[in-house]
Amino acid sequence: MTDISMHLNTDEIELWAQGLLPAARAIHLADCSLCRVEADRERKVILALVQLPKFAPTAGFADRVMAQVKVHAPSGDWTA
Amino acid sequence: MFSLLYRMVRDRALAEDLAQETFIKVLNGIKSYRPEFKFSSWIFKIANNAAIDHLRRKSIDTLSLDGAPSAETPDQVRATSLQLGDRAESPLDEVESRELGTAIERAIARLRPEYRSCILLRHVEGYSYEEIAETLDLPLGTVKTYIHRARNELRGYLDDRRE
Repeated sequence: MTDISMHLNTDEIELWAQGLLPAARAIHLADCSLCRVEADRERKVILALVQLPKFAPTAGFADRVMAQVKVHAPSGDWTA
Repeated sequence: MFSLLYRMVRDRALAEDLAQETFIKVLNGIKSYRPEFKFSSWIFKIANNAAIDHLRRKSIDTLSLDGAPSAETPDQVRATSLQLGDRAESPLDEVESRELGTAIERAIARLRPEYRSCILLRHVEGYSYEEIAETLDLPLGTVKTYIHRARNELRGYLDDRRE
């Protein structure tokens, strides 16, 4: 069992950033300015990463891929 | 998967080539897929391997541009280096610098490729540590270490920028 006075480790800080830190450890965080500074810096990085946009390939990508895939013909032959 | 590749190689056209290579391998090799393995993890594994292979090859090419390995003095390095002319920025380059030009994107680009894959899978794709370990064929402890180090480095880069 974790001692309530122990500083948060990196796993716990990640849990806190996700809103999943157990209440007992959240009490330590509320009382410890060192952990709060550390957790806040970590949360900023995690938030910046989570909010990154998703990218998509250009139009026609799927057609270009399928043009190069071998399709199993009913005859049993493989065609490009 | 395309986002991962794009952030790994930071070149849209190349990321499309690698994504195409990945899908062709997936579709042509579908019989080798093991159902006990998550399908998306299998695709990410192939994509990540393609990106890492490319970056390793590129690193060898970059070294060769920096002078012959046998060069020992600055003069020998200069004499054996390839000189590249200025490269004009194309419209595609402009799109890329807009897309990947934010502080966090530039900080990600400075991470080691292994750290980059892990941190992107964890926080951008939302994979668990266990799924990342399975996808990248790495021990769970290594994945945790890479992610913690990557986040530390990102914090450092972002803090430097603010100072």
